[in-house]
Amino acid sequence: MLSTLVENKPGALFRVVNVVRLMRLNIEGMTLGVTNHGEDCRITITLDGDEAAVEHVARQLVKVIDVLEAHTYSPEEVTARELALIKVNTDKMSVADIQKMRLCRIVDSSAHSVVVEVVGSAKEIDDFVKSLTTAVLDIARTGVAALPKELPA
Amino acid sequence: MSGARAIVEALEREKVEYIFGMPGGATLPFYDALWDSKVKHVLVRHEQLGAHMADAYGRVARRAGVCTGTSGPGATNLVTGIATAFADSSPVVAITGQVAKAMTGRNGFQETDVVGVLTPVTKYTVQPLSAAEIPSAIRKGFYIAETGRPGPVLIDIPKDVQQEEVEMTFPESIQIRGYSPNYPVDVQDIERAADMLARAERPVLFGGGGIRIADAASQFTAIAELLMAPVITTLQGKGTFPEDHPLSLGPIGMHGRAEANRIVQECDLLLAVGVRFSDRSTGNFHEFAPEAKIIHVDTDPTEFNKNKLVDLSVLGDANRALTLLYDALLRRLAKRDENNAWLKHVNQVREELKGIPAYRDSYAELSGPKIVKLMRSILPPEAILTTGVGRHQMWCEIHYKVLRPRTWITSTGLGTMGFGLPAAIGAKLAAPNVPVVDFDGDGSFVMTEQALATAVEERIPVVSIIINDRSLGMVEQWQRLMYNRRFVGIRFQNIPDFVKLAQAYGVQGRLVGSLQEFGDALREGIRSDQPSVVEVPVSHEEDVFPFMPPGKGIKDTVYGTSKEMAVF
Ligand SMILES: Cc1ncc(C[n+]2csc(CCOP(=O)(O)OP(=O)(O)O)c2C)c(N)n1
Repeated sequence: MLSTLVENKPGALFRVVNVVRLMRLNIEGMTLGVTNHGEDCRITITLDGDEAAVEHVARQLVKVIDVLEAHTYSPEEVTARELALIKVNTDKMSVADIQKMRLCRIVDSSAHSVVVEVVGSAKEIDDFVKSLTTAVLDIARTGVAALPKELPA
Repeated sequence: MSGARAIVEALEREKVEYIFGMPGGATLPFYDALWDSKVKHVLVRHEQLGAHMADAYGRVARRAGVCTGTSGPGATNLVTGIATAFADSSPVVAITGQVAKAMTGRNGFQETDVVGVLTPVTKYTVQPLSAAEIPSAIRKGFYIAETGRPGPVLIDIPKDVQQEEVEMTFPESIQIRGYSPNYPVDVQDIERAADMLARAERPVLFGGGGIRIADAASQFTAIAELLMAPVITTLQGKGTFPEDHPLSLGPIGMHGRAEANRIVQECDLLLAVGVRFSDRSTGNFHEFAPEAKIIHVDTDPTEFNKNKLVDLSVLGDANRALTLLYDALLRRLAKRDENNAWLKHVNQVREELKGIPAYRDSYAELSGPKIVKLMRSILPPEAILTTGVGRHQMWCEIHYKVLRPRTWITSTGLGTMGFGLPAAIGAKLAAPNVPVVDFDGDGSFVMTEQALATAVEERIPVVSIIINDRSLGMVEQWQRLMYNRRFVGIRFQNIPDFVKLAQAYGVQGRLVGSLQEFGDALREGIRSDQPSVVEVPVSHEEDVFPFMPPGKGIKDTVYGTSKEMAVF
């Protein structure tokens, strides 16, 4: 996982993604949001690739002028959360059953489906989706937002 | 003040002498403002040539060369030149016009997303979206291009921004949060490096282009002389150590000197300064310098352990780092003896390799290596040599002794054919008082020959030497040695008469038939105040050796043709 802080201006994401693309890594998830009173932007990217390639990207990113920081983290080093919206077919799974499930909250309902919101680690969301089996109609995931944990003193 | 006027004013504040380019619709306001300026516009016949001129100007003058093109094709024509400058860490500022903001994204006439195109091959790109941003964008552009590890910067300015009238303020200095090029050198690293060097029994110094950029050649030489250690360089680093010095072994690499390649394999300590361990230098990374502890000094931290794992990395400007290192060494040792065992061995190896076929002169009256050696004896030490890309360039690598930094200007990182002539023009404008010679191949030369028009117009007396083998010689060599002589796409059936071609541009052209005639033509060329072209016909079959085949290690180096090697 790659976490980088960049100056908040047009083109910043392009410069970051360009380095990822150069190393031919696939982006599995990405979140982006402004921070530091709008001056900066934190981009968190989950990459599919070996550690050395991800490390290479981080090092090259530091060289990109608009990039202020770039770090790689293993999953254990960060607190990470992702949000997913999942449309569930209520003809295949009852609303009552859905309400019993952990982690989720119904945020919208229609005649034959509901939309549930799930927040958790990427794995928890994967597991949740699996448990719905064929009742899943559609999924929108946000990608992982992450902050490094405080180092043990 | 208009945005266009601000561009010119900002360039004047950067003390820009020349701007190499060609105008077009999207740069007309800017060109109009140039009318009133001291900045001299040098008209090129293709924007790539302007970028090469700016690049070579930058390498020689130690400050950014400036080139320009209009939006669309003018900007895309710059790409090869900018990529060349990027690959060799050369300071260039490219200014392009862009369609007016209101036309963005409409695929109108001559709209190209040049920021998108050039981002991967520039150190930075900026696009001022209001005229008020122009002064700081240009200050920032020059600052980024020239400091730290230099590189090209693109400033893309929409036409309406050039036309906008606003109150301007020109910043003296600027802060860039994500950029701090001046790392202080860590003295502990220096102490550690000095310890390692003092302990080493078989030290070798390895200099790259970074030494030229940091102006650290004298410190580098001082350390070599203190340790009495042999010195090797990269191809880009030629001249960072005088190649006629007794400690110089010349460049390593695919077509490096045999003794340099041999000795680097035997050293127990390698002090590498301003190099990036490119595959063309090291061959197979794992087999390179297998017995050595490596100290790597560089201003770009991302170079450390990128290609080759090193034992100690020293971050910082080479000039500062080597000054400190020299002092740290002086505290540990006195000047070593020139009769030290390691140097004796080095000289023995040098003797041994003197007889390799690659170092013997060919029987032909005219051959690349003979011409190169004769050229060296004629040109004064301060003369600047530029090259195209191919066998002729590699003959210079092996046989042309570069004596001073910034007198060897060649495209190594990208290997761009066509670099030679425009680079010679840019170099001559940066150093008008020294002879400048482009040593070129027939294939490379015709890629950018139209630079002759500019040389004539601006009265820039550069000498182009064309080694005419009627072939893409370097590729022919690879097809001969590695593709079983299956020659495809390398022989020119139709070659221009270079003498007449030169004359058509109003340039003196000469075809030489002997070494004597070549010498005369070269002497005449460097005395003249006009550009000239000297054509040297050579056999297309003469390959360049030594040759370390790609991906192979130094032990696989070939020292001559198979015929020669059979009897060697
Ligand atoms: C722009 C570009 N296109 C293709 C190449 C590949 N290439 C490398 S050397 C070479 C042949 C160069 O021929 P010439 O300039 O005549 O020099 P010679 O090798 O004959 O001395 C070619 C085609 C290149 N380096 N640059």
